Amino acid sequence: MDNGLLIIEEEARTALPIVNHQSSIINRLRLWSLKKSIWVFHVNTGACNNCDIEIVNLLTPKFDVERFGIKLVGSPRHADALLVTGVGTRQAAKRLQEVYRQTAKPCVVFCMGACACGTGIFEGAYHVAGPVDNIIRQVDPNAIIAYVPGCPPKPQAMIMGVVKALSALQPKEKYATERIGQTVVANPG
Amino acid sequence: MQQNELDRQLSQIRDRLTGIDRKAGNRVFLTCESEHVYEICRFLFSELGLRFVISTGIDATDYFEVLHHFSNDESGCIVTVKTFVRNRESPELDSITPLIPGAEWIEREMHDLLGITFRHHPNLQRLILADDWPEGVYPMRKEVQT
Repeated sequence: MDNGLLIIEEEARTALPIVNHQSSIINRLRLWSLKKSIWVFHVNTGACNNCDIEIVNLLTPKFDVERFGIKLVGSPRHADALLVTGVGTRQAAKRLQEVYRQTAKPCVVFCMGACACGTGIFEGAYHVAGPVDNIIRQVDPNAIIAYVPGCPPKPQAMIMGVVKALSALQPKEKYATERIGQTVVANPG
Repeated sequence: MQQNELDRQLSQIRDRLTGIDRKAGNRVFLTCESEHVYEICRFLFSELGLRFVISTGIDATDYFEVLHHFSNDESGCIVTVKTFVRNRESPELDSITPLIPGAEWIEREMHDLLGITFRHHPNLQRLILADDWPEGVYPMRKEVQT
């Protein structure tokens, strides 16, 4: 699973001081609520629909991401994360920035697939405004962005990407003691 | 319509063509000058009952090529009407949309990307380029660098 996956955790952590290192109770509450049950909004910025099919695949009983509390919602105002697929086209760039502006902060942007991560095979084409992270950073330089490459990425890679991004949001020591220290129950019940 | 019947029918319009090119048993190219393209498409579509598939626009540096592809579903034969638009400054061609409504969007797309104006097209508006794309820049032309 690891070979199809690359998460720039450092990038997510450098964005943390805004939300994490301030100890105000509101900010801690925000982060806690962001991490508990991620509601995602799916944005297609010019994808070929292959990544979109894999995202829909996540919701089917086989992978069933709702057991992690990950739920697809119909409005960016309800969402904690944006699943962006497709190279950012010239027409979609402004719409993506508007959707990002409407998303409740703090939020995580997931670039799903090779096109969203770095324009892929469309590099230099006339309709391309740039990779998704460039477009997002034009409106918010401190945005938390996670990358899941692949054409399309496997559903397992997408789940792994979400989990890794979440773990990057929390300082590592705390994460380790709270989550990794727990005994894994292979067959509960 | 079987293949031999199709071949016999195509020979009726031989005088309007500049060439018949048979690449394979079920792949025929009919080359014609731009003023005959509507007439030939009408013959294929209305009289022979072929199905319109799609059109192609090509920038061949000195001229534009427009290809209308028709399919004879019974024999699986694809008949392509190939025509040339030689005026690069103001390329114009007769639209086949009044005859075949399904050709409307592909002609609008060719107009967007190559700048070919289709005469008698009912609605030659921008279709696929971005709203902020500058007028008069046609991205699929050879001279346009992105």
